[in-house]
Amino acid sequence: MSGYLPAIVTLTAIAGIAGLALNLQWGLSGIVNFGLVGFYALGAYTAATAAVAGVPPLIALALAMAVAAAASAAVSLLSLRLGGDYLAIVTLAFAEALRILILNEAWLTGGAIGLPGIPSPLDGLLPAEDRALGFLVLAVGSLVLAFLLLEAVARAPLGRALRALRDDPLTLQTLGRSVVGLRAKAMAIGGAVVGLAGALHAFYYSYIEPTQFAPTITAYAFMAVILGGRGSNRGLLLGAGSVMVLIEASRFLKDFVPLLDATQLAALRLILIGAGLIAILIYRPQGLLPEHRLEAERETTAGEEDHGTR
Amino acid sequence: MNLAQLLVNGLVSGLIIALPAIATSLVFGVFRFPNFAVGAQATLGAFAAYAANALLGLSLPLAALLGAAAGALAAMAVHRGVYRRLRERGSITLLVASIGVAFVLENLVRFFAGNEVRGYDVAVARPIRLLDLRFTQEQLVIAATTILATTLLALLLSRTRLGRAMRAMADNPDLAAARGIDAERVSLWTWGIVGVLTALAGVLTGLDGVLEPSMGWRLVVPVFAAAILGGLGDPRGAFLGALLLGIVEEVSVVVVPNEYRLIVAFVILGLVLLVRPSGLFGRAELVR
Repeated sequence: MSGYLPAIVTLTAIAGIAGLALNLQWGLSGIVNFGLVGFYALGAYTAATAAVAGVPPLIALALAMAVAAAASAAVSLLSLRLGGDYLAIVTLAFAEALRILILNEAWLTGGAIGLPGIPSPLDGLLPAEDRALGFLVLAVGSLVLAFLLLEAVARAPLGRALRALRDDPLTLQTLGRSVVGLRAKAMAIGGAVVGLAGALHAFYYSYIEPTQFAPTITAYAFMAVILGGRGSNRGLLLGAGSVMVLIEASRFLKDFVPLLDATQLAALRLILIGAGLIAILIYRPQGLLPEHRLEAERETTAGEEDHGTR
Repeated sequence: MNLAQLLVNGLVSGLIIALPAIATSLVFGVFRFPNFAVGAQATLGAFAAYAANALLGLSLPLAALLGAAAGALAAMAVHRGVYRRLRERGSITLLVASIGVAFVLENLVRFFAGNEVRGYDVAVARPIRLLDLRFTQEQLVIAATTILATTLLALLLSRTRLGRAMRAMADNPDLAAARGIDAERVSLWTWGIVGVLTALAGVLTGLDGVLEPSMGWRLVVPVFAAAILGGLGDPRGAFLGALLLGIVEEVSVVVVPNEYRLIVAFVILGLVLLVRPSGLFGRAELVR
């Protein structure tokens, strides 16, 4: 049981990083990335294949972020001539297509069997018994860095432009900003962050295979963003933590409801996630920690500042 | 395998996704959001029919009708409980809600049925040979069902008051309301029709392959590719888009491995969005 708490904190941190990425893309910029898990998997597989091939793990991690960012921007360009809701379909299709590729290109990805023996950035630095704690520090440190980066983006002129992309793309176009360019930027930055989460996932488990990258990861991230309040990074941290507590707590449910088997418990958990998502959309669309301060700031200063960007 | 046989198989796999593609286009036309729960709705219909077929011992046609009724009721209930309450919030909120609905419906099925693979209780029949072509009984059932359902829908849309009201709402909801169309009644009926179409598609998918809870999820990408190919919001285009997608997917196995059908759908989707986003048969004004 002593290993349980560090494991949960590490996994929550990784889920939090993925959630932060979605919060930039959907929460702040209004881009519905239903294929989040695809970019997460892309980060994981890029980091894993590079590290297994002998690339130093930290460089493999940077590579994962770059590849996920490039893929995110490229996918967003498919909606060049269309409104943002088409991106929901395109990103979902990308994730499904990638899953098929990973399953079938076994020479590169290990196929359904997976990729074992992924070296970690901590190998050789720490004795084995400190590895869990060391990884916890790495994951939480990455979460803090991602949080600071995305807070900086949200407060920068770019953040204001992205909020306008979400709330009023027409005005943005009228002001001469490129909607497609901004979408690509939001997708690329978010992609780099979700690629980081994927790479950490691969290093943490040291073994990856396709079933680890189920669409439920996307659903959890959406739940975290909605729960925390769209656009609020602090809210996201609270949301991601709450989702993880809910998921973990439901594991203990089987001690109380012995009649349910593992499949039924997993199904029940996803029913709760889906129903919870709908309930928050209906009853508390602003989430737990709405982006209040930013709303006020936008009303007073956004007018002038938008002209000053770029 | 000869090309004519590939075309036949392609047409049939296109016919399987035609009904949900039409349903998706109807939802987009009338309610203006992409319904990501379309796959889960198909799963629900397929398993409702399975319960009637394997557990109650009804024949498959009768069970399929019960499955369709269950699909209609579920879709109408979801409209009342979810989409109607979010109607004013815009398409992005509705489409995120629809993925929540997808998770709930798919996992309700998983909760009761488990993950094991099942099949309908139907007699195994010998394929029919005609000229050089081979038609399985399942293929004939799929073709007949889809063509019948599509014809009935086309008549409903063009000849009935309800169909006219649906088209009016799709064209201009404010004008429709001003002309005294009861939006709520039409919405409920539309969801009922969507429920029937997707549930039937679920049964046909289960008949063509197997039944398991994620069967519908795998339909989502091809269904959207077909609906967009035909111009999202245009049911007739969706039907043609589905046939075209089915044929292209099937013929593509000559060049790419069969497992990559979904990637073919993704590539087609991307190309259409880049080159002709209003769909092959769409009018320019449909571009958003």
